[in-house]
Amino acid sequence: MLDIQNLHARIDGKDILKGIDLRINAGEVHAIMGPNGSGKSTLSKLLAGHEDYTVTQGSVRFGDEDLLELDPEQRAAKGIFLGFQYPVEIPGVSNMVFLKAALNAQRKARGEKELEAADFIAWVRHRVKQMKMDSAMLSRGVNEGFSGGEKKRNEILQMLVLEPKLMVLDETDSGLDIDALKIVSDGINLMRSKERAVLLVTHYQRLLDYVQPDFVHVLAGGRIVKSGGPDLARELEEKGYGWLQNSVGQAA
Amino acid sequence: MATLEHFRSAFDALPEAARTPARRAALYAFLEQGLPPNTLEDWQYTDLAPLSALTSEALRPDADATQMGIESFADSLDALNRAFAAGGLDRSIAANTKLEEPLRPENRAHQRHRLKLERGAEATLILNTSGDMPFQTIFADIELEAGSRLHLIRISDAGADAHRLTRVKLRVARDACADVVTVDLGGKLSRHDLHVDLAEPGASVYLHGLYAPVGKGHVDNHTWIEHRAPHCISRESFRGIARDQAHAVFNGMIRVHKDAQKTDSEQRVANLILSPGAEINAKPELEIYADDVKCAHGATFGQLDDQAMFYLRSRGVPEALARTLLTCTFAHEVLRHIRPDGVRERVTKRLLRQLPGGEQMEALQ
Repeated sequence: MLDIQNLHARIDGKDILKGIDLRINAGEVHAIMGPNGSGKSTLSKLLAGHEDYTVTQGSVRFGDEDLLELDPEQRAAKGIFLGFQYPVEIPGVSNMVFLKAALNAQRKARGEKELEAADFIAWVRHRVKQMKMDSAMLSRGVNEGFSGGEKKRNEILQMLVLEPKLMVLDETDSGLDIDALKIVSDGINLMRSKERAVLLVTHYQRLLDYVQPDFVHVLAGGRIVKSGGPDLARELEEKGYGWLQNSVGQAA
Repeated sequence: MATLEHFRSAFDALPEAARTPARRAALYAFLEQGLPPNTLEDWQYTDLAPLSALTSEALRPDADATQMGIESFADSLDALNRAFAAGGLDRSIAANTKLEEPLRPENRAHQRHRLKLERGAEATLILNTSGDMPFQTIFADIELEAGSRLHLIRISDAGADAHRLTRVKLRVARDACADVVTVDLGGKLSRHDLHVDLAEPGASVYLHGLYAPVGKGHVDNHTWIEHRAPHCISRESFRGIARDQAHAVFNGMIRVHKDAQKTDSEQRVANLILSPGAEINAKPELEIYADDVKCAHGATFGQLDDQAMFYLRSRGVPEALARTLLTCTFAHEVLRHIRPDGVRERVTKRLLRQLPGGEQMEALQ
């Protein structure tokens, strides 16, 4: 589904990604862990089409497409979803209007029919219920006055409504209490299927207890320095990233 | 020199009972002084000459008789309003009472209001210059006694041939609070003046304004906030959205007088220009004569928030629609301060209709 080869990227003249290779197949859940400043968020935003990053080398293919050629909205319509580390507030535009604008635009771009108003509302309410949110939030501004946890939950709600193919979740677990972490994890698990894939970017093992990854990668210094199964996450939790310093050194 | 004879003929066509000596004296004062020339700094960007191109039928001086006596005039426009208006609200809201329903003066072409909120009173006043009337002037003198609160909304959703002049003077006494929202949509030529006198300690004013002219419309907002006493608060935030060949002017003066120590004042102006032919002149002005004050001000010519733009696009919203949504957000920052829900919703809908891509937004509601 996603094939990243030798990806180099920079922002403001500074190299952040220095040769990433990553292949994600449909049905898989991958986790990327790593210290602050290792390039995790850069990779997430780059996949969603953020214009501040310049790709200097390498390629990213999504299905049959050259992903790097597409605008953010085109990527979304093809099925890429980024759960933001810091979701943005958009006061004065209600969640309902936002979701409708997004879903209809994606369907239109894919040549599908827009949903009837009643069907759309029923669909959104169903998803709101699954996320254990109050449907009154739908008439409030997007993330307006939401707590950190509510914003993250709203990210997953959007994901459930839009039903993307590849879900890139950038520190979706940060700022969540245990109950909210459980709800968010349930939401992610709801979307796991043979046709979809998940890329979890996180600092903590905790989320991976709820959303079991198939593969775990460690990103450090702009490269994947180690890959393994779910056990690798546990090892990192116990030992920290320090024990990887050697392999980072070798990689650099 | 533009001729103002049609102002005289419109006045002379009034029934005799309406042509009182007081109104005639005001008319003469106006004719003698003429329209304010652009050589005056306050009129640098706004030329009222189009008023002399109106027909005398368009001027519509009020035909009612009036009780108003002869007074002096602040300037020629004050005199013009005095000559053409037969009156308006003349009310005192009794101490410690709260008016549940907003005051909405009758929609006449020319209005002159006097309102006093006695000690601790609370009221909402809506001054509306919407509609297609070719020429309208509204002048209001408002006094807020100690501890009173006024929510003042001035809305101008005017037609493409509409000319509007308004002037509101607010005197705010000890611990009283004026909470003002102004909205200008449409119109051909409008000038709105707002004078706020923070006259006694603890007085405050919260002022939010949105101007969004379209077509060849011209709208000019001038505000003056006078901090005359210590411990007063002023917050002023104006936002402008201009498209087509529209022209908007904002001039906001904040003056902190010598005795106004511990003044807490903030003024922000932000503008969005949506078409290459549109123009906005924004000028925040700050004069400080006291030494222990907190004053901040700034003007930005905006780009929309990049992060919010990326957020919307990453969800599949095309760039053009994302711009419309973020323009709504930009305006919402002002409109959210309108308290009666019905008024706020109507104004928001009306604004949507005149934004590029607004039809698409309406379909989403």
